[in-house]
Amino acid sequence: MKPFVHRVLFAAFASLIGAFFALPMLWLVFAPFDESPSLSAAVPRPPTLSNFGDLFDNPQVLRSLGNSLLLVGGVVGLVLIVGAPAAYVLSRIRFPGRNLFLYMLLLLSSVITGAAAIVPLYLLIFGLNLIDSFSGVTLALAGGMLPASIFILKDFTDSIPRSYEESARVFGASTFQALRDVVFPVVRPGLAVIAVWTAVQVWGNFLVPFILLRTPDKSPAAVLMYSFYTEGGQPNLRLISAFSLLYTVPILVLYIFVNRRYGFRFHGGIKR
Amino acid sequence: MPGVEIASITKEFAGGVTALDALDLSIEDGEFFALLGPSGCGKTTLLRTIAGLEPATSGSLHIGERDVTGLPPGERNVAMVFQDYALYPHMTVRENIAYPLKIKKVARQQRNEEAEGAGGSLSLDALMDRRPGQLSGGQQQRVALARAIACRPDVFLFDEPLSNLDARLRLEARGFLKQLQHDLATTAVYVTHDQSEALALADRMAVMELGEIRQVGTPAALFHRPANLFVAGFIGSTPMNLITGVVGASGVAFAGGVLPVAETSAPHGADVVYGIRPEYVGLAGPGETLAGSVKVTENLGAQFLVTVELGEAQIRATVPEGEEPQIGDRVGVTPDARRALLYDAAEGTLLA
Repeated sequence: MKPFVHRVLFAAFASLIGAFFALPMLWLVFAPFDESPSLSAAVPRPPTLSNFGDLFDNPQVLRSLGNSLLLVGGVVGLVLIVGAPAAYVLSRIRFPGRNLFLYMLLLLSSVITGAAAIVPLYLLIFGLNLIDSFSGVTLALAGGMLPASIFILKDFTDSIPRSYEESARVFGASTFQALRDVVFPVVRPGLAVIAVWTAVQVWGNFLVPFILLRTPDKSPAAVLMYSFYTEGGQPNLRLISAFSLLYTVPILVLYIFVNRRYGFRFHGGIKR
Repeated sequence: MPGVEIASITKEFAGGVTALDALDLSIEDGEFFALLGPSGCGKTTLLRTIAGLEPATSGSLHIGERDVTGLPPGERNVAMVFQDYALYPHMTVRENIAYPLKIKKVARQQRNEEAEGAGGSLSLDALMDRRPGQLSGGQQQRVALARAIACRPDVFLFDEPLSNLDARLRLEARGFLKQLQHDLATTAVYVTHDQSEALALADRMAVMELGEIRQVGTPAALFHRPANLFVAGFIGSTPMNLITGVVGASGVAFAGGVLPVAETSAPHGADVVYGIRPEYVGLAGPGETLAGSVKVTENLGAQFLVTVELGEAQIRATVPEGEEPQIGDRVGVTPDARRALLYDAAEGTLLA
């Protein structure tokens, strides 16, 4: 009998933990379709789409999603274009202090983040005259993502044997051809991982665009959500819940697309 | 088909390590040439220098009539088979074999045909659409060979291509490789640390140590008359007996007796190392002039390797199975005087 009791207790405990994490999700599913949502998750009676109707009456909603996509595209592009070659060089070329450089980069970038970095970041972007511009936000976000991206991509590149490129070179491939034909395809799943991770981080970043952008029309979705209040100054849960659901869709789509297209797997070397 | 001419090639790595020290070597046209040596002796560096993956610090390198010293790897017309085969995991077998032709801008149709041909000659027909990850080690090795063959090089460069195979497959692949090279009649340079592989495959071979070539010759020459103690100790699947002694009237005297010598120019009283392979040492009854007790017997299959203690020295002999003595037995030792080699004790070089 004892194992049975154990299993029941374990199942009960696991369900409790599961419920703890599932409830907010449940709210996200129910509240957007509720005429008057509260902070507790309840099945809406009757379900309605009027919240979405109100949401789309606000012209800023679609614009903010567009702004977010623009930022994501810019930052992902910049991180891949700068990070991939940097990781390749750090993986393939030995120079004195290489590891120290890598670890300092990672350490400093993970210690000084968020609120601690925002004042110097603001001053820097202000000095560059890029306040209230997408390029300023893109640079700031990409700068924050690059160290960890480079570190992860370097690890991916390290696991590609040098002999791949060397054999291509012996066959007459130029450095560029070897990169294009051999290194890039093998490291592509790594790039996909970094792209999705960066996209998710940028999509959810509130602080940097909130501080560096001023014009409301330039607000990305994460910042716009902050502005949904009723006339009485209360959070407008109808709009917030509907917008939250909308806000998660692009990330889900991205995940499914990348997983289908590239798969979060890695060729690495060949088992033998 | 051209050979390879290496003239005083030196390779120094940053940090002052000299991997190749003013090395001269001439590899004949169509020859299967093995570079043999322990790890770190510079054999792989030499191969990579021939390939152009490592630029030589000084010296010159010719393939046939062409001076390739300063040419990038792709313009040397060599094909290299790497130890890990370096097959591209994202390409099918066909694409892998055709890749060198793609680089040479051969039309798709033609390069696929060539790939099929090269793959077919190595019985890879059924595997052309697989990816390397779905192949066994032996199949991967054949794909790597097919890729090298498909680009029709002047010289094949093999960097320990058999070392990732298990023992039985390695023997099979060895015979196959030798036949393949013979059929293609293409010059091949083969790097290995396995002396039996070098002896079995090579037309000629070089033994390297610390960036220098210690001896060049046919496998038979290196086996029977190693030019120095390093080569003597390195070649042979059972290590050569090397016993220090002094040249006397009747042979080489050492602590355990006198070892017979056929004839020698070595002066009396010279300090020498007496070398004889266990295969040329016989065992007899305890009445012989050289006798001692058996310390160890090792089963080699059809033969036994017997270690006999002679005073402070030990001598190993091989005997046919069924004739091996018991440990502790007293036996006589009869080295074949005609097979004995004398080395200068100080220099380690072979005395005539």
